[in-house]
Amino acid sequence: MPHETTKNAAGALDVAVLVSIGRHPVTGRTRRADQDARAVEAALALDHARVQLIHAGHHETDSEAALRGYLGMGFEALTLIEQAGDADVLPALTDALREAPPRLLLCGTRAETGEGSGLLPYLLAESLGWPIVTGLAEIERVEPEHVTLLQALPRGQRRRLRLRLPAVITVDEAAPAPRQSAFGPARRGALAVSEQASRPDTALADWTLEPARPRPKRLKVVKAASARDRFKAAAAKAEGGGGQVLTDATPEQGAEAIFKLLHEEGVLRR
Amino acid sequence: MLDILLPILIFSALALAAIGAVRRIRLWRQGRPSPVPVIRGLAAVPRRYLVDLHHVVARDKVMSSTHVATAGGFVAAMALAIVVHGLGLAEGVLGWLLLAASATMFVGSLFVARRRINPPARLSKGPWMRLPKSLMAFSLGIFVATLPAVGVLPPDAGGWLVAVLLAAAVAWGLAELVFGMTWGGPMKHAFAGALHLAFHRRAERFSTAAGPGRRSTGLKALDLDDAEAPLGVETPADFTWNQLLGFDACVQCGRCEAVCPAFAAGQPLNPKKLVQDMVVGMAGGSDAAYAGSPYPGKAVGEHAGDPHGPIVAREGTALVDAETLWSCTTCRACVEECPMMIEHVDAIVDMRRFLTLEHGNTPNKGAEVLDNLIATDNPGGFDPGSRLHWAADLELPLMAERGEAQVLLWLGDGVFDMRNQRTLRALVKVLRAAGVDFAVLGNEERDSGDVARRLGDEATFQSLARRNIATLAQYRFDRIVTCDPHSFHVLANEYGELGGNYEVSHHSTYINELLEAGWLSLKASRLGRVTYHDPCYLGRYNGEYAAPRAVLDALGVERVEMARSGYRSRCCGGGGGAPITDIPGKQRIPDMRMNDVSETGADLVAVGCPQCTAMLEGVVAEDRAVVKDIAELVADALDESAPAKDRRRVTEEEAA
Amino acid sequence: MSEIVRRDPRKEWIARNRLHPEHLDVLAELGEGAAPSEWPGPNGRIRRDPHAVGFTGPNGIKRIDRSGVQQGAGRSSAGDRGDGQPARQRVEIESPAFLVAVVPDLAGGRLSSHDRDLLGLARRLADADPQAPGAVVAIVFGEARESGFAEAGVDRLVTLDEPRLAGYAPEARIAALSAIEESLSPRHWLLPDSALGGGELGRRLAARLGERPAAGLWQIEPDAGSALGWHATCRGAAGSLDIRRDLPRVALALALAECAEPVSETVHAARPLAPPALPEAFSRVEDLGAVAVDPASVALGEAEFILAAGNGIRDWEGYHRAATALGATEGASRVAVDDGFMPRDRQVGATGTWVTARVYVAVGISGAIQHLQGIQRCDKVVAVNVDPGCDMIKRADLAVIGDSAAILEALVTRVEQARQEDGGKRDAA
Repeated sequence: MPHETTKNAAGALDVAVLVSIGRHPVTGRTRRADQDARAVEAALALDHARVQLIHAGHHETDSEAALRGYLGMGFEALTLIEQAGDADVLPALTDALREAPPRLLLCGTRAETGEGSGLLPYLLAESLGWPIVTGLAEIERVEPEHVTLLQALPRGQRRRLRLRLPAVITVDEAAPAPRQSAFGPARRGALAVSEQASRPDTALADWTLEPARPRPKRLKVVKAASARDRFKAAAAKAEGGGGQVLTDATPEQGAEAIFKLLHEEGVLRR
Repeated sequence: MLDILLPILIFSALALAAIGAVRRIRLWRQGRPSPVPVIRGLAAVPRRYLVDLHHVVARDKVMSSTHVATAGGFVAAMALAIVVHGLGLAEGVLGWLLLAASATMFVGSLFVARRRINPPARLSKGPWMRLPKSLMAFSLGIFVATLPAVGVLPPDAGGWLVAVLLAAAVAWGLAELVFGMTWGGPMKHAFAGALHLAFHRRAERFSTAAGPGRRSTGLKALDLDDAEAPLGVETPADFTWNQLLGFDACVQCGRCEAVCPAFAAGQPLNPKKLVQDMVVGMAGGSDAAYAGSPYPGKAVGEHAGDPHGPIVAREGTALVDAETLWSCTTCRACVEECPMMIEHVDAIVDMRRFLTLEHGNTPNKGAEVLDNLIATDNPGGFDPGSRLHWAADLELPLMAERGEAQVLLWLGDGVFDMRNQRTLRALVKVLRAAGVDFAVLGNEERDSGDVARRLGDEATFQSLARRNIATLAQYRFDRIVTCDPHSFHVLANEYGELGGNYEVSHHSTYINELLEAGWLSLKASRLGRVTYHDPCYLGRYNGEYAAPRAVLDALGVERVEMARSGYRSRCCGGGGGAPITDIPGKQRIPDMRMNDVSETGADLVAVGCPQCTAMLEGVVAEDRAVVKDIAELVADALDESAPAKDRRRVTEEEAA
Repeated sequence: MSEIVRRDPRKEWIARNRLHPEHLDVLAELGEGAAPSEWPGPNGRIRRDPHAVGFTGPNGIKRIDRSGVQQGAGRSSAGDRGDGQPARQRVEIESPAFLVAVVPDLAGGRLSSHDRDLLGLARRLADADPQAPGAVVAIVFGEARESGFAEAGVDRLVTLDEPRLAGYAPEARIAALSAIEESLSPRHWLLPDSALGGGELGRRLAARLGERPAAGLWQIEPDAGSALGWHATCRGAAGSLDIRRDLPRVALALALAECAEPVSETVHAARPLAPPALPEAFSRVEDLGAVAVDPASVALGEAEFILAAGNGIRDWEGYHRAATALGATEGASRVAVDDGFMPRDRQVGATGTWVTARVYVAVGISGAIQHLQGIQRCDKVVAVNVDPGCDMIKRADLAVIGDSAAILEALVTRVEQARQEDGGKRDAA
């Protein structure tokens, strides 16, 4: 398929990418959020697009380092909608996007800090009245009024969608990995601070937040008629712990055993 | 007629040379400023040439003598020719001396010519093939032209035809040897080389009257506080002027090419070509005129550049491809071999810095490793709180609890690698057997920054280094001992610039000291033939070749040496982030090294570096030699029946 | 023959009591021809064969069961139905006090285990007050191939199978759910928090209803103080936080959660409800259909089924053929990559890609520690190797020792044969 995009600079697509402060899963250090960085990468992969980065949130040293991570992907500036630490950023973001609406809004599926419910893109789409699509794998083609994209399905499968602009597209781990953030542009890039009233998130204040407890593993519950059957099932160790070894099997027997396992696991397509 | 022609030829050659010199110097001055002591540098040239440079050249005896005869003969002949023929002062002994000098030079040039009959692949061809003829033309021409001057032949012997022929020969010689020196011919190396010796960026490498030169192998830091300072080298003009001068000094002898592990493995790197490309870039143009071995797999003539254009293009081609720069293992074999004292590794890392810090284009796993270093302080992305999990049963004394110890044991990132944990266990066992008072930093330790720096990420290196220095500053210790030569090198040679100065020993050095002091008793070894692989960062970077061998000898093994060992040791392929950037070649560097091992017939190869262990053990081959760290060999040979001495108590007793 | 097994408690008791005078007779009767483990020897002494006693347990250890059931096991496990499940209690809720709406993912038209957990959760909500039980309404898009809604705990079933809801039609589906909200006004909406199913639909629904949903829910507990009588624990901040809050109307439950047990003791009515009239929705998202993806081009980290090749492969053509036939993604050990047989991006292991496949078939890979690290997170590992002592065999759930080329060829034949049979069956149906 030819990669047709608007060729004149005036017709360049306005793309905004919402970026948030990420958190490294092992050390908890702030960083560029992985999905948001992938969204930025998807935007950078578009020909003839004017890409703008937007972050709404509290501005401090730690978060600045993380935001500079996005600038290091090759941006001169990032729009920072400054908010109080306890703010619900949705109203401020909605206002900002209403004032200067892009044609395409990209963001990660969910944040790595805070509630991280992944609702924000949907709320934005709902309040802006734009369509929203999740799980972007690749943007194939951009026309003045439409965008054609591949959506990532499980097992590496893809589905082609055509979406009317303006639209919101969210990006998860299925999208191409983000480019490296380079120190030079990250250091040079500017944070263009834009003031917006900040409204506190009252609901969140009522909730209890604590470090995640390990979730209890589900025991294999066996409903059986007798206590003995239940005991037998509980005492039976799962198939692991030293697998089955076929030593003197013919190739056919071996293949049959493998086939049985593949069939049980359901990885063979019909 | 000759007495008219010769002075004209000589002085016009000298004038042209002077013009060329100015032009050449202006090429170098395109580079960034780098202050050097001009007078002292120039004054040091003879010593640096005769002692330090000759030390390298003398590794090849025949070539060394050839060079002495040819170059010495030429310098003397030229100086005398100016006097005798230029100024017409042929009286007395001068003419005879000139005859002797040109005769010596002729003999030398015969050897040069012999070498060019079937030249080894590492030598450049092209204009270099005519050099012996030029040398012969000059020496013969001067010799014959001088014969009348000393009265052996009548002044007008041979008539005008001979005179014209002689003048032509001398003119050819002068063109090649005098103004060719400054206009870019093969003899350029003499002019640029002499000045390079004078203004070398690592003057401490050279010996002085006070003593021999020091190893100077640590990379130079970037100034990150200055937001305007360039981050690495983008264009040839971003090199410092004396680096450009250094590139110009290249004599294209190809010794670097012959020892480069990446070149041998068929990766697209040839140190000689890289230096020549920098020369091309400095003057502007294409590499089509290059007459040596190309980068493996890359044709000559497709790359071009100019002094202010990018060396590596973001897209397409420029002067050099990025994968050429990422093929380097920073083993320093090229620097060690270079008779012109060119610093290839510095240049490569300078260019890598730009690719990483400005392009954000560290290939393959590079970006991931750097991200891990930033987020978790180790390249593997492991939980920094789990650095001591491997030693849960060892109860290692922690610096945080002790505050001081004689020896700070720097464990390195090998703590996350199951193979290296065996080495570390062995080392702890040895230290305990010797009763050494040691402690570890535990979870306070971070990656030393070696990999980040070699991958060009100076920012991450400095961040790690500064935090490590701050940690180390809290504790008192006499010295740091580590089994990782990369950490060793960085701690000993590269932290100094950032304010951390420590006495650092490699564990082989330290174990050798313990053995010599009698703190360890060893059983008779049952090991067979053992060979030793010198890690680059221990040997070439830090000059420690003896201690590991002394330890092996103390173990009583039959020690055999590989063809390439000591300062000529071949890299395992694990340095400089090469396994991370993983540029494909025709074969793998560790496979070649294990072939070297098997040629010795050794059943075991002793190593002293976690990288080398990992690379060499990764070789899959029939009957591959066993790879063991020195610490493991010593730990296995410990005589545990001997009473363990408590080093601290003994010292206290001594003190009492 | 009658399914009903008549037990004789007395005989079972005698069988358990080794000192009873009739013990041996009863054993013989119950054992029905099993090799006797005791017999009188020629000199009149009782000889025992300890090897004949007991049975081999599921973990391969010999077990001796004195409970007496073993002897009866040969006939049938007493009282159980064929599948060993006890009979379920039938529950009908005629006039529910409230409704709990559940939108299962129905991947492939069947209830997944995640869906069943979710229905279990719905039952907890519905059955909390036995005096005023609620009903669970399952809302199903498209024609479900599932027949076990009743067993999974569904009281009412709404099937929405209009063509415009088929495929990827989130906007039409949300319009449909909004119509159900209006006609049925359920008290709770429960959806699975899965990437491209309930997770997306639920968030759209919450945004449409103006509810702040409980996303990443994994536990609920009764709490009289909250509006709906429950509070919820949800995962937030990329799984690093637990958020405890009142249960809102819309909840998205995590897959691997202990949120609820699937229904197992009751069977429900699953009575079909007529779907409400659906409004015309204006769709701005057009589904252009699935794109054929070559399994070989699927990123290793994403792949679900990997056929990995190592040093032991001689017949590379056969290997590639097998990968194509099985529809597996190709992977490789470092050596296979270094030797140039496979591209670098196919390398599995500590220095290559860490894979998370459900099934990882390692052919001719001996299992260097770096490689094993890379497959840590694979569910099932199958090893094909000539060396029975290699580390990969130790890691494998199933190992076949033998020539890889022959085994792969046999496997391809077997899979193709199965496909033909399958195709035949479908044609017949």
